[in-house]
Amino acid sequence: MNAPLKKPIIAAKLQHHVIYVSDLSRSKDFYVKLFDLQFSALNHPDSSAAMRLSNQEMHFFSFGFYHHDLCLVKHHKLKMDNNSMLHFTLVARDKAAFDGIRARAAAMGIPVRDGRVIASAKRSPGQRAFCLQDPDKHWIEIIEEQRQ
Amino acid sequence: MTAVAYVPPNALPPLLQKFAPLLKRKWFREFVLLPPTLTRRRFSNKTEDYGVFKPSQIDHIGQVSIYVQDIDRSRCWYEQLGSLRHSRTCEQESHPSKPGWSIRCCYMSAVAHDECLVLVEERDPDGKITVPSGMSFFHTAFELEGNRLEDVFAFADQAKKAGFARNYGPVRHNSEPPLGDGETGGNVACYFYDPDYNNIEFCGAMDTIENYRARYGETKGSARA
Repeated sequence: MNAPLKKPIIAAKLQHHVIYVSDLSRSKDFYVKLFDLQFSALNHPDSSAAMRLSNQEMHFFSFGFYHHDLCLVKHHKLKMDNNSMLHFTLVARDKAAFDGIRARAAAMGIPVRDGRVIASAKRSPGQRAFCLQDPDKHWIEIIEEQRQ
Repeated sequence: MTAVAYVPPNALPPLLQKFAPLLKRKWFREFVLLPPTLTRRRFSNKTEDYGVFKPSQIDHIGQVSIYVQDIDRSRCWYEQLGSLRHSRTCEQESHPSKPGWSIRCCYMSAVAHDECLVLVEERDPDGKITVPSGMSFFHTAFELEGNRLEDVFAFADQAKKAGFARNYGPVRHNSEPPLGDGETGGNVACYFYDPDYNNIEFCGAMDTIENYRARYGETKGSARA
């Protein structure tokens, strides 16, 4: 009898994203103040062999469940740019969080643009979205979680 | 179209890719960290209390859009390696932030995440497709179905059999032998460069609030260092 075919292992979901920044301290302030991200770890060339070999320093942030969801990386020899990523989307955990982020952005003097970054992106009926740029001009889109 | 062969400056050269598994050996990590050890600048990665106990305003990452030179080539890569599903490819549209430029978007879905990845061809005002720099993000990561160590190893094996070369891994991002590479998060991971050298991680079994508490209780990171 033939052995049963093994089910392929497939990607389930996007889990974390690691972006380059030019000033870790400035970006850390931005993400913590605006989104309440939790600083979960720091890997530095003086603490991590991988970071030392790659000339990088990485700050890890959690949304509150996984160890890390968004990480900020500074390359100590190379300059970051905005030419390999158009944007990333952060899903606010509820209506109050969405409104809260928008209010904080206003208080921090961050210009916002209504709607999704990409015009062709899907938008569920009634779903709200706005976008803004972080200190390195990375486009961030904030959308409201719509639980069934 | 013909894609330009471009290797970003942050890409791990093939020779270093061969030596990267040495990071799983403690003696090698100690050797690399000898200068900060001798000069007393060395510290532990776990300088923060890295168990995270408070929710943020964010629930999850909803979507990432990355530049590619050839949507068809990249779509095929993500379909074959990660079993991502093609959702739709749109007509050319205006670039959202560069007047006169345009984009064409291909939306890809994972089994539990609708349209999580957008493959974007960007055209300058002359209609020429731009070459992604590799310098906006270090990597983006997909969690594998099953979310266990065994699933990541099975995935790595499956990818190898299908002819996909890893640039790193599988490793576990902690300091526990035999898989730990001294990094943080606890996730078991393997990394691949897509056709444009965008670095893509496939992972599972990351530390969470629950398993962190089970393992370390209320002990602060600094106390474990």
